[in-house]
Amino acid sequence: MTSGWLRALSVLLSVATLFAIPKLTGNEYVLALGVSFATFSVLSGGLNLVYGYTGLLSFAQVGFFGIGGYTAALLVMEQNWSLWAGVAAGGALAALVGLVIGYSSLRLSRHAFAIVSLSFALLCMIVARDWVSLTRGAMGIPGLPIPTMSLPAGMHWRFVQPSDFYYLLLSFAVVAHATIYLVVSSRLGRAMRAIKLNEALAQSQGINPLSYKLLAIALSALLAGIVGGLFVFYLTIVDPSIFDFYYTETMLIMVIIGGPGSFWGVLLSSAVLTVLPDLLRFTTDLRMVLYGAVLIVAMLLFPGGLGAWLQRRRVARWRRPRLVPR
Amino acid sequence: MTAPAALLEVRGLSKRYLGLTAVDHLSFEIEAGAVVGLIGPNGSGKSTSIDCISGFQPADGGQWFLDGHELTGLPPHRIARAGLTRTFQTVRAYEHLTLLENLCIAVQENDGVGWLQALRRSSPLRRSEAAALARGRDLLATVALTDYADAPAAILSYGQRKLLTIAASMMARPRLVVLDEPVAGVNPTMIRHIEQVIHKLNAEGVTLVIIEHNIDFIMSLCRRVIVLESGRKIADGPPGVIRNDPRVLAAYLGKTRAAELDHRHG
Amino acid sequence: MDLSFYIQLLLNGIVIGVIYALVAMGLSLIFGVLEIVNFAHGEFYMLGAMLAYFLTLNAGLGYWPTILMVTAVAVSLGFILYEALLVSLRGESFERSILLTLGLSMVLQNGAVFLFTTTPKMMVSSLSYSNIIAGELRLPLSRLFALALGLAAFGALYMILYHTRVGKAMRGVAQNRDAALMVGIDPRAVSRLAVAIGIGLSGLAGAALAPVYAVHPLMGFSFVFKAFAIIIIGGLGNISGAAIAAVGLGILESLAAGFLPLVMVDALAFISMIAILLLRPQGLFGRGVRV
Repeated sequence: MTSGWLRALSVLLSVATLFAIPKLTGNEYVLALGVSFATFSVLSGGLNLVYGYTGLLSFAQVGFFGIGGYTAALLVMEQNWSLWAGVAAGGALAALVGLVIGYSSLRLSRHAFAIVSLSFALLCMIVARDWVSLTRGAMGIPGLPIPTMSLPAGMHWRFVQPSDFYYLLLSFAVVAHATIYLVVSSRLGRAMRAIKLNEALAQSQGINPLSYKLLAIALSALLAGIVGGLFVFYLTIVDPSIFDFYYTETMLIMVIIGGPGSFWGVLLSSAVLTVLPDLLRFTTDLRMVLYGAVLIVAMLLFPGGLGAWLQRRRVARWRRPRLVPR
Repeated sequence: MTAPAALLEVRGLSKRYLGLTAVDHLSFEIEAGAVVGLIGPNGSGKSTSIDCISGFQPADGGQWFLDGHELTGLPPHRIARAGLTRTFQTVRAYEHLTLLENLCIAVQENDGVGWLQALRRSSPLRRSEAAALARGRDLLATVALTDYADAPAAILSYGQRKLLTIAASMMARPRLVVLDEPVAGVNPTMIRHIEQVIHKLNAEGVTLVIIEHNIDFIMSLCRRVIVLESGRKIADGPPGVIRNDPRVLAAYLGKTRAAELDHRHG
Repeated sequence: MDLSFYIQLLLNGIVIGVIYALVAMGLSLIFGVLEIVNFAHGEFYMLGAMLAYFLTLNAGLGYWPTILMVTAVAVSLGFILYEALLVSLRGESFERSILLTLGLSMVLQNGAVFLFTTTPKMMVSSLSYSNIIAGELRLPLSRLFALALGLAAFGALYMILYHTRVGKAMRGVAQNRDAALMVGIDPRAVSRLAVAIGIGLSGLAGAALAPVYAVHPLMGFSFVFKAFAIIIIGGLGNISGAAIAAVGLGILESLAAGFLPLVMVDALAFISMIAILLLRPQGLFGRGVRV
């Protein structure tokens, strides 16, 4: 049981370190990387929940991300909502859309869901670009105001400095990951795994695959929508590029490299893949070529990802001593 | 003495595939506590009927009831929760999970613990999980797989995997279990072991329907045998009667061979 | 509006529809025979266009030699693609094939961006300014040739699928894989040829459209998703269904663009696809639902 305590301690230490970084260095570049990490880790964590745990390939995450961003921006700019209400609404709307897409296409098959999720993401891009009266078109909505958070004792926190957004997104990322962890380490996560491993068997044991799939989709959409709202206010602009396929490709790579179904693996890979490419100063194109190559190799050689390889090692360890003589 | 009430009642079950009639207005009843064999040559509709009854294939006609409750048209998970479980010919298990995990999953939807309680790790959940573990260990002991409780299911041999699926089908204390070819491809020692397991489970009150090609196994285990051919029931009775039924012989051996045998035994 | 306006729109729609059909039929053939969704399909369309551009510009090849060359290269690429990457997939996992071909598309697309930049290139040739004029109708020669090529490709494909042994084998596998395998069809040879033909069609479409629209590394990206929508609307694995749906979509988009503002013309394909999936999942012309 010491491994459990050790793991909890190292997690606590890492989180504390992350929060301490702005005090240790005011370097804006580092803080921007931190915001990037927080955002991408939430996106890939959600994708991991849907694809890694439940086995549903989905391209819809970026759609939820952008819907959250646009909803928050529009509600704040045009309806004078506070950022927090706007972001919450964005998350809720994304979750609702996720449920609709999921329910309508999962009745058919996972394949239909994969394809509908892809078209949904593309449609979002088209709507953002072309439905100018709603989304202000290709120019987007610039000039998003600085958020303010009212604190106890009548104080206010204005998010003026880069470190403010760093703290905000990091805090949300911690909450998001804690929520995901709570689900996947419970029997709900166990049911999701069962559905991915052998859906017919799970059904024959009373598990309703649709409810768990919808849960995974709705939760990942909610988290993506909220982080989308926060992210666009960090950028102070939302435009159609928030639906770029680039986000989808990056999320997928993070999940594949980290290992579909591995909570810590994906978290770690999202950190590494946020920091490393910047350190290596790759241009975006070369980075994507590399990612593509990684995807190809992963699918050819390690279809089950890191998780399956670890499982094979577990099996090998059990096979060595012959417990029952033949 | 009144006749035992039917636990499973199937009326007029029909299923067609691409113009072929796989199951043709099949009707039968299974009384509580029975161990009934379901046999028939390849393509007679055994697996198809069970797929329909357990909700994995939509039926084209007919109704079926478990203990008076109608199950017609329900999705497989609802039928399982109603108390009818089954195993698969393809011997399904969660390969990467341990045997105990396999068994605990098999009962988790049946203990009345909701999602919020599960997330909060409340005491109903903890009690339920403890009970599931205890029952899992019991069943592992019954099938003699206790040594592998914490091993991944992937390491089991074919016969051991079949034992695991039988144990899993019992976890939620179902009323009726359908075993789909429980001894196909298994060595004779294991066959005897499985037969003993089935007896033990039946003694605890589970009704069993067993689909098999291994006629000797069925004849020695079951007190009643139903025979299907081309989607229809052609015989239904105790093993001794079935063994000599000319229609059954004809179905398995072909009409000329059956006539030959008949002629020889005069 | 006078009749000639409609007819002009119709004509434009037919041309683009025929080209859509080439790409969609190739995608459908690959899916039907291998059960693989080829995400990289659009990239071969882009590569065909790029190659045509460079052959015309740098090697000074005429229109028809360029087309022939590009088609030959595309077909060979198809063979290579199958042997190098797809042969191990064997249709076992839908997700794996999507991710594998997605990876390939990322490599090809971003590689092309890296090498050629995203600046669109216009192919200027002797065809560029020649038009056929009939009354108030105008049909640029480049579009006419594209239409002719498309129809010729249809004809060739029809000949292969209905009048050669291997073509019939392909149709057999697309309709009922298990039955075809039982009858003794060699899946590897059939699959290899299906991929070669599919990629060849895609490359040909790219070369045919290169003189019509601007050529740039991202042109395959939007095209391929429309091709997906088309094959679902037509019915997965149904090749003629894909062709009909493609021409239909081309005409629909052209008519809509003539009357609606540019808003959402692109969205038509996806909205139709989602509607079909939810209302008639086997597609307009059906097949046997792999979805």
